[in-house]
Amino acid sequence: MERVVRKKVKELLDSGNVIAVIGLKDELGKTTPYLFRRGDDVSKLKLSPHYPLATVARKLHKADPEYKFALLCRGCDERALIEMAKRNQIDLDGIMLIGIACDEKMARECNCAVPYPSCDDIIGEPLRDLELGDPYGEFKKMSTPEKLEFWKKQFLKCNKCYGCRNICPMCFCKECELENGLWLRKGRLPPDYPVYHLIRAFHLAGKCIGCGECEKACPAGIPLMTLNRLVRDDMKDLFDYVAGTDGENVNPLYTKEEF
Amino acid sequence: MEYETVLTTCPYCGCGCKYYIEVIDGEAKSVLPCKEDPISEGKLCIKGWNAIDFVYAEDRLTTPLIKEKGKFRKASWDEALDLVAKKFAELKQKHGSDAFGLLSSAKTTNEENYLMQKFARSVIVTNNVDHCARLCHASTVAGLAAAFGSGAMTNSSPEVEDADCILITGSNTTEQHPLIGSRIFRAKEKGAKIILIDPRAIQLSRFSDIHLRQRPGTDVAWINGMINVIINEGLADEKFITERTENFEELKEMVKDYTPERVEEISGIPKDDLIEAARMYATAGHASIIYSMGITQHTTGVDNVKSCANLSMITGNLGKSSTGVNPLRGQNNVQGACDLGALPNVFPGYQAVTNPEFREKFEKAWGMKEKIPDNVGLTVVEMVNEAAAGNLKCLYIMGENPMISDPDITHVRAGLENLEFLVVQDIFLTETAELADVVLPGTTFLEKDGTFTATDRRVQRVRKAIEPIGYSKPDWEAICEIAKRMGSKGFDFPSPKEIQDEIAKLTPLYGGINYDRLDELGYLQWPCPNTEHPGTVFLHKDKCSRGLGHFFAVEYKPPAELPDEEYPFTLTTGRILFHFHTGTMTRRSKKLHNDVPTGYVEINPLDAEDLGIKDGEKVSVSTRRGAIEVPAYVTKKVPLKTVFIPFHFRECAANVLTNPALDPTAKIPEFKVCACKIDAIGE
Repeated sequence: MERVVRKKVKELLDSGNVIAVIGLKDELGKTTPYLFRRGDDVSKLKLSPHYPLATVARKLHKADPEYKFALLCRGCDERALIEMAKRNQIDLDGIMLIGIACDEKMARECNCAVPYPSCDDIIGEPLRDLELGDPYGEFKKMSTPEKLEFWKKQFLKCNKCYGCRNICPMCFCKECELENGLWLRKGRLPPDYPVYHLIRAFHLAGKCIGCGECEKACPAGIPLMTLNRLVRDDMKDLFDYVAGTDGENVNPLYTKEEF
Repeated sequence: MEYETVLTTCPYCGCGCKYYIEVIDGEAKSVLPCKEDPISEGKLCIKGWNAIDFVYAEDRLTTPLIKEKGKFRKASWDEALDLVAKKFAELKQKHGSDAFGLLSSAKTTNEENYLMQKFARSVIVTNNVDHCARLCHASTVAGLAAAFGSGAMTNSSPEVEDADCILITGSNTTEQHPLIGSRIFRAKEKGAKIILIDPRAIQLSRFSDIHLRQRPGTDVAWINGMINVIINEGLADEKFITERTENFEELKEMVKDYTPERVEEISGIPKDDLIEAARMYATAGHASIIYSMGITQHTTGVDNVKSCANLSMITGNLGKSSTGVNPLRGQNNVQGACDLGALPNVFPGYQAVTNPEFREKFEKAWGMKEKIPDNVGLTVVEMVNEAAAGNLKCLYIMGENPMISDPDITHVRAGLENLEFLVVQDIFLTETAELADVVLPGTTFLEKDGTFTATDRRVQRVRKAIEPIGYSKPDWEAICEIAKRMGSKGFDFPSPKEIQDEIAKLTPLYGGINYDRLDELGYLQWPCPNTEHPGTVFLHKDKCSRGLGHFFAVEYKPPAELPDEEYPFTLTTGRILFHFHTGTMTRRSKKLHNDVPTGYVEINPLDAEDLGIKDGEKVSVSTRRGAIEVPAYVTKKVPLKTVFIPFHFRECAANVLTNPALDPTAKIPEFKVCACKIDAIGE
């Protein structure tokens, strides 16, 4: 599949329709986000491991709103872009999406029900009917006191790196509630239980697109995907709302005032 | 629009995390974790995430400064370098080489440390070169070298997660080495037993199977106690002891006195708990000891380290994976600074200066006409003492801030102010730089190339991501310029790559390390003697570096200054997660400063009640050295009659209070124990 993507990227760049393609490149034996331009060696283009390229797109767009580029876009990247666009963080008009379908291994790693974007040409076989196992495992079988004990143990490992927030494609508030000392005291380790993690979970309700980067960025190994998935499940069950699937719908948790 | 990611190594702690710096149009914008980095695996601590902020702080030193009539004025590099070279030559002529002291930096690159000691030995011609390892792991370097033949972490950080038992003492791992703390959590998930021995209830205490809270400074006693139990219960590894060690009988005889009862008297650890911990450690298949300042920063630091070595050898936990004795080095490159000989007693690669063969080797390699002195030089605290006494006339300090990091700061100031000439090379005007005659602006890790060596002997690349700010220059360039202006020929390097090549020729441990291999492999762990060698994951396989592991029978000795009627509390000092050492970098980082804007003194609730102190209230803490005013943080983290103050904050500097008493061998100060009193101020 990498070969097909490399060919597509080269074609796009050579055609002059896009100035640059945000992708991933093999450098020093590791994969890193890279801005490919016409004439670059596309044989170095890689597709994994996944990095939140939607965030790179948002940063570039912020640095120069006129910049026209394409980007390698998996299902979660597209969902992130859609939610960013709804919140005026990015203008999707200047961006061309190169749809990439996740293979079974990647889909199962994230336990992702929609491991492909919604664009017309997707490179790779979109796994539309993937049978995923129960993502919760032992967790749902626990009693409420057991669940509380479970989360307490997990949250107390936290060392307030803010990594989950920093890496999250959906976190871009200029002033973050986690930092102002009002809801949780500054400088405490572990952060005041359970405030840090519950604030994040609630702020992500209707925003989280299930990319799993938070859990991958956690040095304490806290199962953040489980926490966020529970909230995503509730948003679906209670409000029939799934983040990142519709460019127009508004998070039902937002109150709209008409004057 | 230019976007690129530059893979570099973190400038903060000894974990050695690598991550990407996202650079947009020549400006470093953000940190992006590297998922394939073997240490961090795409995760970082709050300092790593915020490693860019301080680089762009408004008060970065951007030009050289020369002090005239007590005030600094800007100067060109030529003027400043000429002045420094001239003064150095003059003072050498007038007072002799040993009137000089040079402080290298555990923050700067290996190449820069190599050059600093080369400058000291080949241009000034003195062994008076040292750096802040003196204040942290000098005990380790001496103790493990004596016991095993090599003073470094025996195993590697990633291996920790596969240990069956991890004994952590004097290390607040999740705060100070977060990405090694990660491995401890993973080990626990996999079923490992965690033993924690620390007076304070640090974050790890919640996750340990046993937490022993010993009186500060009683480590030799409890370790000997554990060895006593292990021998008596037949849990010692007879085969290992017979085949791979020497001097066991002396140790066996001595520990007979360290019964659990006696150890309880000395250390306060309940005897049944000690026995349980000993059994837990000794019966594990692969047991790892992790330690840091709580073991080293004592007048008995070397004894403490030797005791840790004893414990690992008694149980055969050496020379195989996920075992060993693992000192966690604090600074990003303190391991490298030691490896590259920025120490008064060794050349690069721990080749002793007292050995005429090595002196000849370096004199020849460096094309010297003068002879390198055959005596061991002065250490950090000794340099301050000699300066105060008027014997040391000149200090050249690079990337070190003794005005906050040394014990007994009042004395440090007296010493530095007594010098005839002080040159400080740094990225900010630190508390030490304020006292200088000439200040030279160095660059940060983002603005230069080089290598750092992480705590597990892991040499990794630092890669330039942006151009130097203002007129700052990489430290290696400044050292070379001064050397050249003093007539030296051995300081002509086009880039750090060539410096590393010279290092490889003279340093057997680094023999196979060069930039091409580092680009290809990502890292190399020494010993790496030649370019075919893949590096060494863990040490002392089949035999120790010195052949047989040596048991040292060490008796317990109390700390130099214990609480008494006048000063009834034990003061222990240390670090916190959010700030790093003297705060030069972290206190200029918005997000880190936001979480912890100033210091505090941790005090037990019962003690606070006795003294009538409330949480947040400012109190006075005083010792025989001095007094500071600092907010109280009332917490059960500290035991009764013990207080803890982090040393990062100049306005409530813990080191005004600390005791400059030194370990006789390692010359490391007893930062972890002294006597203090607490008084309410009523604010």
